[in-house]
Amino acid sequence: MKMLAVDASGRSASAAILADGVLLGESFLGAGYTHSETLLPMIDWLLTHTRTPIQAVDRFAVTVGPGSFTGLRIGIATVKGLAFPRGVPCVPVSTLEAAAMNLVDTDGLVCAALDARREQVYTALFEIEGGRLTRRSADSPLSIDALGDQLACWSDRTIRLVGDGAVLVYEALGARMPGLRLSSDALRLPRASSVAAAALCHPDEAVPGDRLMPRYLRLSQAERERALHNR
Amino acid sequence: MLERMTYSVEETEQFGRMLAERLRPGDLLVLSGDLGAGKTALVRGLAAGLGLEDEVSSPTFVIMNEYRGRGPVRLCHFDFYRLRDEDDLYSTGYYDLLGTDAILAVEWGERIPEALPKAAIWVRMKRVDAQTRRITVEGDERF
Repeated sequence: MKMLAVDASGRSASAAILADGVLLGESFLGAGYTHSETLLPMIDWLLTHTRTPIQAVDRFAVTVGPGSFTGLRIGIATVKGLAFPRGVPCVPVSTLEAAAMNLVDTDGLVCAALDARREQVYTALFEIEGGRLTRRSADSPLSIDALGDQLACWSDRTIRLVGDGAVLVYEALGARMPGLRLSSDALRLPRASSVAAAALCHPDEAVPGDRLMPRYLRLSQAERERALHNR
Repeated sequence: MLERMTYSVEETEQFGRMLAERLRPGDLLVLSGDLGAGKTALVRGLAAGLGLEDEVSSPTFVIMNEYRGRGPVRLCHFDFYRLRDEDDLYSTGYYDLLGTDAILAVEWGERIPEALPKAAIWVRMKRVDAQTRRITVEGDERF
């Protein structure tokens, strides 16, 4: 099986091609340029240099959120377009899970956090054991303080942070949570190879391209009003 | 703080050109003033001063206009007037532009104050009479 995986959910963008789970090629850009201008050339370059005709791709994987509004739409629209002509199945992947997957080789707790601005993050907690990633909490928008409360019950453990909100969380909570660890720069942001790895863990979630939808994870207006009311 | 009186649309534009010389990549300007205060004229001056050739128009209907030239500089001209809240704003791509090199000029920014960065440069435009405007600019040491 040839899989093409794509991430354009944040400041960085990446694409990867795998054959039966083995990485043939990967391209990553963290220079902050417009994904709408770089993503397709990146994919084209990968297809050319791995000598993979696009017709040979029989599975797509893409981060569908949370993340940047524009970025998610660029990534998802690109995959929808590539999948459409031959009806190739597409696996939607959580951006947080993809980021946590970067650390899959080391056992322990991983907290993925993306900057949602105004001291809020999109976050989820994962546990890695023996090369397997298990989810400990659902993707959700939380204030960094609320995340601190949630992580407090794991205070006897080491928790590694990934995602573009990792530094934010580390700076806010590091002093009172000595078990927090910032992952290294190269492993902090989602990578297309990790998107593929996550997609390979749940192949049954594949959908036709037209059913691929972004999961922005914004609170609805009603939810925010209720939160305000309960404050 | 910078304060200037302008006595015609052309002078307001000229003031925009002057302001452009002091701007740096990533700056965000909040343009505050009633309808007809000259906000769009000032942005026309900004764009010209930044060397951007694209035609400037009011973004009230489209929410955001982007102006580019031959170089890497780009100016994103927002109007928050028709936006209700931060979720509306999220779906314009505004947050994707914060922290990049793009210069942002925001009309009616005071409608969603929580979305404006602390380092925002405030440009207030007051109509004195049909032709005369009092413009004040508040920001860091450059103004």
